[in-house]
Amino acid sequence: MLLLIFIYISLLAFILISLSVALKYAKMPMHSRWELYPVPKEKGRGEYGGSYYEELKWYEKPRETSLFAELKDMVKEMLFIKNLFVNQRPLWWLSYALHLGIYLLGLWTIMLFVGAVTEIAGMTIVSDAGVSSHWWAALVYYVTFVAGATGAILTTLGSGALLLRRVTMESMKKYTTGQDYFNLLFIFIVLITGLVVWGSDPAFNYGREIMKGLLTFSPITADGPLTLHIILLGLLLIYIPQSKMSHYVAKYFTFHKVLWENDPNLPGSEIEKKIKEAASIKPGKTWAAPHFQAGGSVSKDQ
Amino acid sequence: MINGKDIKPQDMGKPAEQLTKFAELMDLPAPYNKPGMEPPLTEPKDAWKEKFCASLDGYIGIDTLTRPATKEEEEEQVKKFLSGLEKIFSNETNRNFIQPLLLSFEYCAKCNTCSEACHVFQASGRHEMYRPIFRSEVLRRIAKKHFKKGGGLFEKFVGADIDINWETIARLGELAYRCNLCRRCAQTCPLGLDNALLAREIRKIFSQEMGIAPKPLHEKGTVLQLKTGSSTGITKPAFLDNIEFIEEDIEEKTGKKIKIPIDKKGADILLTHNAGEFMAWPENPAAFAIIFEEAGLDWTLSSDLLGYDNVNYGIWYDDAQAKKIALQQFKVAKDLGVNRLVLGECGHAHKAAAVSADRLFTGEDYVPRESFLPLLWDLIKNNKLKLDPSKNSFPVTLHDPCNVVRMMGVVQPQREIIKAVCPQFREMTPHGVHNYCCGGGSGFAIMNAMNFSEFRNKVSARMKFKQILDAFQDTIENPAVPKYVCAPCSNCKGAIRDILEFYEVTDKFNVHYGGLVELVVNALVDLEKPYLEFLRDDEDDF
Repeated sequence: MLLLIFIYISLLAFILISLSVALKYAKMPMHSRWELYPVPKEKGRGEYGGSYYEELKWYEKPRETSLFAELKDMVKEMLFIKNLFVNQRPLWWLSYALHLGIYLLGLWTIMLFVGAVTEIAGMTIVSDAGVSSHWWAALVYYVTFVAGATGAILTTLGSGALLLRRVTMESMKKYTTGQDYFNLLFIFIVLITGLVVWGSDPAFNYGREIMKGLLTFSPITADGPLTLHIILLGLLLIYIPQSKMSHYVAKYFTFHKVLWENDPNLPGSEIEKKIKEAASIKPGKTWAAPHFQAGGSVSKDQ
Repeated sequence: MINGKDIKPQDMGKPAEQLTKFAELMDLPAPYNKPGMEPPLTEPKDAWKEKFCASLDGYIGIDTLTRPATKEEEEEQVKKFLSGLEKIFSNETNRNFIQPLLLSFEYCAKCNTCSEACHVFQASGRHEMYRPIFRSEVLRRIAKKHFKKGGGLFEKFVGADIDINWETIARLGELAYRCNLCRRCAQTCPLGLDNALLAREIRKIFSQEMGIAPKPLHEKGTVLQLKTGSSTGITKPAFLDNIEFIEEDIEEKTGKKIKIPIDKKGADILLTHNAGEFMAWPENPAAFAIIFEEAGLDWTLSSDLLGYDNVNYGIWYDDAQAKKIALQQFKVAKDLGVNRLVLGECGHAHKAAAVSADRLFTGEDYVPRESFLPLLWDLIKNNKLKLDPSKNSFPVTLHDPCNVVRMMGVVQPQREIIKAVCPQFREMTPHGVHNYCCGGGSGFAIMNAMNFSEFRNKVSARMKFKQILDAFQDTIENPAVPKYVCAPCSNCKGAIRDILEFYEVTDKFNVHYGGLVELVVNALVDLEKPYLEFLRDDEDDF
């Protein structure tokens, strides 16, 4: 039962801490404009990096943006890590293996959930006689299997290879801290324990059992390796949002709230409203250089 | 001295007269691939080493960062740096940048993708210290050491493993002036992080807290501009004299009698120039005047304080100075009652006025700002100017100022214009939003104290020089063919002028530089003699 509660806690912690990171950035004051082109939402111009500033008297014309173009670029970045693919292909292979593996493990988790619901509803997915002949059960079984197997292998290979590259490549080693190594190592170890568990039950029945336990709030049975895997995975889920591995949150802000955020301050606009609100905040502290002080000299030399 | 392959962020605090130096810089294309074609690197003078921080790479960018005379002074400077460090991470004292700063500070995966995009790193011969993340990592380690509690092993684990002493701080300050803030690296970051932003934040700590910034940017830059009206020191009477001279020059060169409108209340357009143009390249504001008059625009220049100089060096190193200047410049436009402020050929003025200052003003203080490029393209497109492109029958390439393309998204109009007036136009590779900086960005073009211009010409401008040579490979070794690098930005023009002089490219290979409007004026049908100096015979000048 303790194990079950721990799983609940780790899942909840992952979600809540991730949300709190998002909230921390969302609550920060509006910054000065710091966009960087290409900005994909610029309708008809995003491809080559143009903006509304290419229009004569742009401030008198309606602002034309394309949500589709923005989503297209977002999807390319989210699903394929486009920037790394274009700019550093050798690293992309490893990084993409890790990330695609994680996405597949996400799908695997969803499929375990679907499988658990299916079994709770009374349909057997797999028995001693083999995979059920019912199309739905077979579909759930095989999608779970393929997603879990490829996800686990890719994530293990990706995290292991990235760690190896970081340890051996002089240009990466110099900038890598103990914590950076630890992050990759932590993922790698969780995956290795996962592979050990999977080795004893290739059909992932243990996964569906855990899901059923979570859904019905009933104790789960776990042997030594599975207990260790669950504890490590839970700890990883609690740790990730507190580390820089929470870049799945940060990336939203770096792109949407900084690099692609080029909404102009036009009279009557939402931006203008926000600027007026911000203008009423008077900071209590200021900087110490002479030119910040009333009647101060220009520099330290004067 | 540590070689470029072995140096690491933790070395920044190590005692050494000079931490590292350049070994082999990036190769240049023909004809500069032969030995003896470029001036060699030089050693810093002993007197500089004693007085300033030459202990990074032997170059001195911050000519106000002098070595402390006493231990107390040294400690005081370190203390001030650390208090400035706290302030950049405070909502209260860094409201305008806290969000992008924290994102770039916290999330770097150290994948080094940014290095491949950086022209300084490439030009340095891939010297570790010029990787965009090197300085960011030094800042990170200092901050972690300063803010984190724990000590011992934990410190080392999170990367708080750097000595914080005067040498570390001073070298980091210098290293912040080895980045052109071109932000090309940020375009390639898989996480959307920005090392240039971190370099700028370091500059802010030095300027805003320690009162230390390169003289050309601060004392002789923003401070002088706020006091006299221009960072060039041109006062109102001097400006008016200059305009008179330009009018005479226009008449002499073109036969056109033009009265340049000054302080015309209620004009449609207030045109602003980088005042450096009036001093170094008066043919540029003259070309604007010829075009605007030819097209019959309702326009004016301003002789008001800060009205005749659109530069804003504050955006490179100090938020407060940037704001003060922008406030004054907008006030000039408001007082004149113009409909719009049009920015002339100055890249950083484009960014400063149109983008950086966009969230400083509301309501009555708001003034629409736009680049001259869409306006000029509109005039050409609508046949407001009678042009004969055959007058520009020589190879022309275009340098894209980072502030106009990457920071503002103005990419196509200048291409349409140049294609309309230059039949032998060829692009640089890469170009547009993926261009390389001229090497003079973020103040480097005007920082010439001691040996800093050598760093610019040999390293930060090296990639641009390579691009120029590549663009003209078909005719570069034929001095009979004049070639033109079009740089529609004052600072870029300054950096390119220096490249051409330093490597003797004009003398040896007939490569010239200038703005965009000069090419347009040169193509005007009714001009009997060429407008561009290098096309004029001696007799044209009499």
